[in-house]
Amino acid sequence: MPSASSNPSLRSVRLERTFGDGATRRVALSQVTFDLFPGRLALLMGPSGSGKSTLLAILSGLLNPDAGQVLAWEGGGYVDVWGMSQTQREAFRLRQVGFIFQGYNLFPAFTAAQQLEIVLKWGQNASSSDARRRSHAMLEGLGLGGQMNKKPSQLSGGEKQRVAIGRALVKGSKFIFADEPTSALDWENGKLVLELLRREAHEHGATIFVVSHDSRMLPYTDIAYHLEDGHLGELSRSPLADLS
Amino acid sequence: MTYALQTLIHERSRYAAGVGAVLFSAVLIALQVGLLLGLFELTSIPVDHSSADLWVGGNHVESVDLGRPIPASYIGRLNKPGVQMPELYYLNFANFTKPSGGYSLCTVVGTGLTADHAGCPDVLTAEHRQLLTESMTVCVDQSDLGKLGLERVGDRGKVNGREVRLVGVVSGIKSLAAPWLLCSQTTARELLVAVNPTYSDHVTYLLARCDDPAHAKGIAKELAAEYPEMSVYTADEFSTKSRMFWLLRTKAGVALGYAALLGLLVGAVITAQTLYAATMASAKEFATLLALGIPRRKIYGLVMTQSFWIGLIGVTLAYPVVHLLGYVAEQAGGRVVIRWEVLLGAAVLTMGTSLLAGLVALRSVKNIEPMSLLR
Repeated sequence: MPSASSNPSLRSVRLERTFGDGATRRVALSQVTFDLFPGRLALLMGPSGSGKSTLLAILSGLLNPDAGQVLAWEGGGYVDVWGMSQTQREAFRLRQVGFIFQGYNLFPAFTAAQQLEIVLKWGQNASSSDARRRSHAMLEGLGLGGQMNKKPSQLSGGEKQRVAIGRALVKGSKFIFADEPTSALDWENGKLVLELLRREAHEHGATIFVVSHDSRMLPYTDIAYHLEDGHLGELSRSPLADLS
Repeated sequence: MTYALQTLIHERSRYAAGVGAVLFSAVLIALQVGLLLGLFELTSIPVDHSSADLWVGGNHVESVDLGRPIPASYIGRLNKPGVQMPELYYLNFANFTKPSGGYSLCTVVGTGLTADHAGCPDVLTAEHRQLLTESMTVCVDQSDLGKLGLERVGDRGKVNGREVRLVGVVSGIKSLAAPWLLCSQTTARELLVAVNPTYSDHVTYLLARCDDPAHAKGIAKELAAEYPEMSVYTADEFSTKSRMFWLLRTKAGVALGYAALLGLLVGAVITAQTLYAATMASAKEFATLLALGIPRRKIYGLVMTQSFWIGLIGVTLAYPVVHLLGYVAEQAGGRVVIRWEVLLGAAVLTMGTSLLAGLVALRSVKNIEPMSLLR
């Protein structure tokens, strides 16, 4: 993984994506080129329907672009995410990518620890004891040491989103994509979530890409972009994010 | 505990319909087969209530009630090592004239009457046996009195035009259509000769016990090979053959098959629908796992494991229900034969159906796309 001051960890190269045909044709992304760096939290803002989620989906390997490339740093070089077969891309996501969504999407029947354990057992064939140890350590780190054995119905919204963050991080993901991760939370819990994501970036070198409407997030991000009518522009850059 | 079972327990109200459907299918199949076996058990009553090891009849006898006369002189053919003293056994359909007029079909069963006789029906008490030694007397089952227009001991009717007197009422040999008239060999011969003179020196079967019942099968095989004009069966073989003949001849098996198939179909559809709905309810959670790169086959595995548990729980719950309903049916005068083979068969069939329902429900997993979480 390149360091924060060297190579980008994820490169978006002239990405294009349209939806619909003829009169209903809508350009979601037009020649979007930008870089994301390890150890940094990047925020993407923009009005509804501006293509924010489309960009997140393409960067994370969930939705194919019409044109352009997504290059991810892995194993000492760049790999073309959309040049891979579907199986290779799923394996790439399993190795490198974590997601946090607006909804927590936690299994109602499972405890907080089990929400993480299932990812390790099913994704990495981890043994039960290994999965339990790593899940507990992750939840401890997220301040959920006392909630390990609680089911989603026994957790607050903030706690549930922290469990969802744990699920995204527990397998050692280097790229974290978050779609409106705070929109269902009050601002106090929203701040906590952002601080956790920032810590993951700054302390563990993860590349964090957050999509949100909420401009209160700006002070917590290293760099912010704005997307409108398919065009990307830089909105702000914190001194910490000076990569030159 | 597996994730599948944990989900099932946590969301038991959601999965209850599936478990109920499996339970219904299993109970339906087991009880239907049990009732049918109970019904056709009636066709082999003479065999089941005797203590003979070997049954010798005419060629190609399909069922115990369809025996044709064979020369009584064949008795010498059973003079073989390991075979005890053979005895004569009469069994044939006859016309019964009710005391009040009117006719009914009946089956005359004439046997030796001491407790040592292998053919003597075990439902006869010593008193009955003594009374039957008197010529032209019969015993019938309590449940068949009405069919024969008889009310009490001492009533008289006619069999093939010859008058008989009821001297005893027994229980446990209920008939399917033609009531069994238990009597002595002498009475039977007289009643049957009246319409078929062959019976003057013929019998329907020759019965014998073996010194070692375990050798009966081998001896039966030897005799059958030696005398192709005779059918030779062990008691078990003849009992099963009689039941199977009527089961297939009456097409009751086909009716049973259809009803069971319908039960399975209902069970499969409800179980599949339950699993499909449950999977769709967790679609977002599964989509998140797929986004994280978890292989889809893991989710397929979860759904199939759930279908396995639904099947197992349904079948397990069905077990006491089958016994309970079987008991209730017996109390109401029915006969339900609950054999382990039937229970196992019903369990295997319904478990298979549940797994099939799981396979159908996999369609729901196939349609889950992580991209749906971003729209």
